[in-house]
Amino acid sequence: MERCIRCSLCKWIPQVQIKSSDYASICPSIDEYNFHNYSGSGRMITALALITGKIQVDEKLIEIAYACPECGGCDVSCKYLNNLEPLEVIQELRETLVKKGYGPLPRQKLYVENTLKMNNPYGEPANERKKWLPKDIKLTPGAEIGYFVGCTSSYRRQELALATVRVFNKIGVEFQILKDEVCCGSPLYRVGEVEKAKKLMVENIEKIVKSKIKILVTSCAGCYAMFKAEYPKIIGKDLPFKILHTSEFLEQLLKEGKIKFKKEIPMTITYHDPCHLGRGSEPYPKWEGEYSEIIPLIEFPIPPKAKRQGTHGVYDAPRNVLKQIPGIKLVEMERIREYAYCCGAGGGVKAQFPEFALNSAKRRIEEALSTDATSLVSCCPFCKTNLVDGIEALESDMEFYDLIELMDKVL
Amino acid sequence: MELDDNIYKKLVEIVGEKNVSRDLVIRQCYAYNWGNDTINIKRGKESSMFTDTPIAVALPGSTEEVQKVVKLLDEVGLKFKAQSTGLGPWTCASSEDVMIIDLRRMNKIRKIDPKNMYAVVEPYVTGGTLQAELIKLNLNCHMPGAGPMVSPLASSTSMCGPGFTSESTGFSGRNVLGTEWVLPNGEVLKLGSLGLNNNPDWYNGDGPGFSLRGVMRGASGTKSGLGIFTAVAIKLYPYPCDPKWNLSGVSPYYEFEVPNFMKFYILSCKNYDVVEQTMYRISEEEIAFMLWSTSNLALGALFSRNKAELMQLASKATFFKKPLVVLITARTKREFDYKNYVMEKIIEETGAKDLISKGRITPGTLAYCEALRSMMGFHGFLATGSFQSSFGGIDSIAVSFQMVKVNLPIKRKYTKKNLLPDDQGESHFITTYEWGHYAHAEMPTMYNVNIPKTRKAMVDYFDEADDAALYNHLNIPFFIEGDELHDKWGPFVCNYNVWLRKIKETFDPNNTSDSGFYISTKKELEKKKKQ
Repeated sequence: MERCIRCSLCKWIPQVQIKSSDYASICPSIDEYNFHNYSGSGRMITALALITGKIQVDEKLIEIAYACPECGGCDVSCKYLNNLEPLEVIQELRETLVKKGYGPLPRQKLYVENTLKMNNPYGEPANERKKWLPKDIKLTPGAEIGYFVGCTSSYRRQELALATVRVFNKIGVEFQILKDEVCCGSPLYRVGEVEKAKKLMVENIEKIVKSKIKILVTSCAGCYAMFKAEYPKIIGKDLPFKILHTSEFLEQLLKEGKIKFKKEIPMTITYHDPCHLGRGSEPYPKWEGEYSEIIPLIEFPIPPKAKRQGTHGVYDAPRNVLKQIPGIKLVEMERIREYAYCCGAGGGVKAQFPEFALNSAKRRIEEALSTDATSLVSCCPFCKTNLVDGIEALESDMEFYDLIELMDKVL
Repeated sequence: MELDDNIYKKLVEIVGEKNVSRDLVIRQCYAYNWGNDTINIKRGKESSMFTDTPIAVALPGSTEEVQKVVKLLDEVGLKFKAQSTGLGPWTCASSEDVMIIDLRRMNKIRKIDPKNMYAVVEPYVTGGTLQAELIKLNLNCHMPGAGPMVSPLASSTSMCGPGFTSESTGFSGRNVLGTEWVLPNGEVLKLGSLGLNNNPDWYNGDGPGFSLRGVMRGASGTKSGLGIFTAVAIKLYPYPCDPKWNLSGVSPYYEFEVPNFMKFYILSCKNYDVVEQTMYRISEEEIAFMLWSTSNLALGALFSRNKAELMQLASKATFFKKPLVVLITARTKREFDYKNYVMEKIIEETGAKDLISKGRITPGTLAYCEALRSMMGFHGFLATGSFQSSFGGIDSIAVSFQMVKVNLPIKRKYTKKNLLPDDQGESHFITTYEWGHYAHAEMPTMYNVNIPKTRKAMVDYFDEADDAALYNHLNIPFFIEGDELHDKWGPFVCNYNVWLRKIKETFDPNNTSDSGFYISTKKELEKKKKQ
C-alpha cells in the first residue's frame, strides 16, 4: 500500500483511452463524493492509515469502505503500469471491518440476514424462488446444462429469467434448473462477509455436482463473476463444472449454426458492459515462483507474474451476439470493455446508498444518450434495475433491454 | 489540532456541508503522498508516507468560493494549501494549522480559442482530458512529464513542468498566459491581458504594465505558497502529426495505430560528448518533437510494459551505450521526409548509431501513443515502485551534461554499497527546450519504499547531489524549496532568498498561504524558531 504514489490514475479510464473530457472518469465513487478517500488510491491510503494506527474505525471510515460499487475500474487503470491491488485492498478492508464487528452497514446487513434465512437477499420465501417459471417451459431433469437463475432474476427481474428459459426452449437447448438453488453468495461476499458466503458457495457446488450439471449457464453477471473468479479463489480449487454466461452460451450456439433468427428488430443500440461480466469475471491468475534481485534492490518475479487486470473478462461475446441480431446496429459509448463506467449498483451500494447508485446510473445514461442509440442493452439484472431507475430519473426516452430479452424477441 | 466549530460552520456556509470535512479519516488521507517518506526524514521525523495532518479539507466549486474560504482563513489566522490533482509532497500541509483546499470540483475547460491558440482551464482539468479535446481541433498542449493525469494549471503556475516533448513544447512555466489568481487575502488578481480594462482576454501572460509572471511563479513555482490559481490560459501548439487516435486490444497491451508522420530514433552514442553534440545539432535544425537523453536502464524501463520486458531489455543494455531518444513528427509527407533526411545527415555527422534501424530495439506501437499523451514517466515506477529526482536545473545542454558527470561518482557510492538500485550511476533525463540550446536535467533515482535503508540513502544522496550542484555552480535544483534550502542557496545566488521573502511578505503578510515548499515571512520564521 505504501507504493501508492497518489497519482490519481485510478480516477480515470486508462489515460491513453481518454477521448473527451466528458467521459474520462472511471470511478463512480470519487465522482459522487469528491474527497480523495473515495478513490482507489484514497481507500488504500485509508486502509494504510488504519493498520498503522493513525486512525481508528469510525462512522466515516465505514462509509468510505462501503460507498464503493467494487466495480474494479480503479484496478484496471492503476495496473496499466503499476503493480498495486486497489480492489483487493477495498475488499480486505471490508472483510476486516466485518471481522472487527463494524461491517457491513445496516441495509447491507439486512441483505445478509435475509440471505442466511431465506437463501436470497430480498427476504422472499425460498419456496417461491421458481414462482416465475411457467408450466409450459420444458425442463430436462438430469441435463448436462444447468440454468443458474440467481436471486435478482428469481424475485426482482423475473422477465429476464423468463426470457432466458424461453430462448433456451426456442433454440431447443435441453437444460435443468436446480431444485433448490440458493444465492451465489455475491451480496455477502461483496460486503466482506466471506465466511458466510463460503457456506453458500459450498452448498451450491454440492447441489450442482449432485445434479450432474456439466455446464452451468447464468444470465446474471453478478452470479457469473462469483462462479468464474471468486468461487475458485475462496474454495481454493477449480470448479468441477464449466461456467458460462448466457452471452457466451449464445455466441457458441450461433457459431455452431444452432440459432436461426425469425424476426428483425430495426434498432440502434449501445451496449453497457456489466462490471461483473467484464472486469470482475477475470479469474485470479495462479503463480508459483519467487522474487529475485537480478539487479540489486530490484525484485523480479521468476517466472513472470501475470496481473489480474480485468482485461480477460467477457466483452466480445455479447457484442458478437448483438451484431448478429437482424436489424440491430451497435454503436459504442466512449467508455467500454475493461474501462466501462459502472452503473453504480454493485458492492452493496444500491442497498445502502441509493442516491449515489442513482447518480451513477444517470451519468452512464447520459453517456449512452450522447451516442446515436435509442436503446441501451446490457447483460445483468442488477444493472438493469439501476439503469432503468436512471432512465426514469432523467425522464429519458431511452429504452433498456437485456440481451436475452432481445433474443427472445427475434427467435 | 481540531477545527473550531464556528469556523467549520462558516466553511459549511461557503462550500456546503458535503464539501468540507474535519473528520480525521478524511484529513489523514490528505497527509499521505508520494515522496513524503524522504521529506519526513529530511525534517528529522519518522520516515512515513504520512506527513502533518491538515486541520480540515474543503472542496470549493468556484473562484468566489475559493475567495471566501481564503478570506476566512486569513481572518482567523489559519493557513491553507491548495491542491489540484494532488500528486507529490508539495500538495500536503506542512503544519497542523493548515487546511487543504482540494480544487477537484473546479474541473472545467472554460474556453478553447483555436484561432489565437490558447485554452483556459480550471485547476482540475487534466492534461489528458484537455489534450483529448484539443486533438479534435488538430491542436496540442504541452504535457508535463509527470503524466497526463496531472493538472496543466498546477504545472504552469506552481511547478516547473518540463516534459518529454519539451524540445517542441517548452515547459509548463513558459506556456502560461492570462491568469486568475486568488491572493492570500482573498482578492483576485488578473494577470496579463486578462487584467486589461478594455477587452480583457486571456491571450497574453505579460502586462499591462510590468509583467508579474516572475512574481507569480518564479523559476519553479510557489507550490501554493502565494495564493491559489483558479484559472489559467495556456499556450497551444499545432498537433504534431496526423490527429487520428485509434487503439485496439485490451489494457495494458493496447496496439496503437501509429499516425502518419511519426518516427522514433533511438541513437547509441559512444560517450556523453557525442550525445551532447548530437542534441545541439538536432535542436539547431528544429526538427524533433521529442529529444532527450537518458540511461540504459531508464531506456529499458521506458520501452517496457512490465518487469519481464524490462529484464529482457536490461540484459541488452550494454548495446545502448549512451542513448538518445528522438521522435520526429510532421504534418505533411514533405515535412516528414525533410526532417528524416536531416536526421540521417546528423547521424552521419556525429557517428551515432540508430538502434532501431539496426534491430537492437523496437518501440511498440503504444510507445508512440504514450509519447503523445506523456505516459512515459510512469515507466520510471516499473522497477521499484518509486523514484525521485535530484538536480533539475535549467541551463545549457553542455551544463546539463556536466550535471550528469558530477552526479556519476556520487550516485555510484550508493549503488556500490547496495543502498540504491544499481543504475551504474547513470540515470538521468535531459531534454532540450524549444529547439534551442537550453535544457532541463534531472537525475531520476529509483528506490524501494518498502526497504527503509533505501529511503534513508535517497535523502543522503539528495543532500550530496544538492551540495554538488551548489559548489560546482550547476544551477538551482528544482527541489530547493522551503526556508532552510532557500536560505542556504540564496547567498550563493545573488541573495535571491531575500527578494523571494520580500515578495512573500508583500503578497502574504500573514503567511496564510502554506510556505512549507516556498518561503516564509520573517515573522513566521521567528515564530517557527520559537516553537
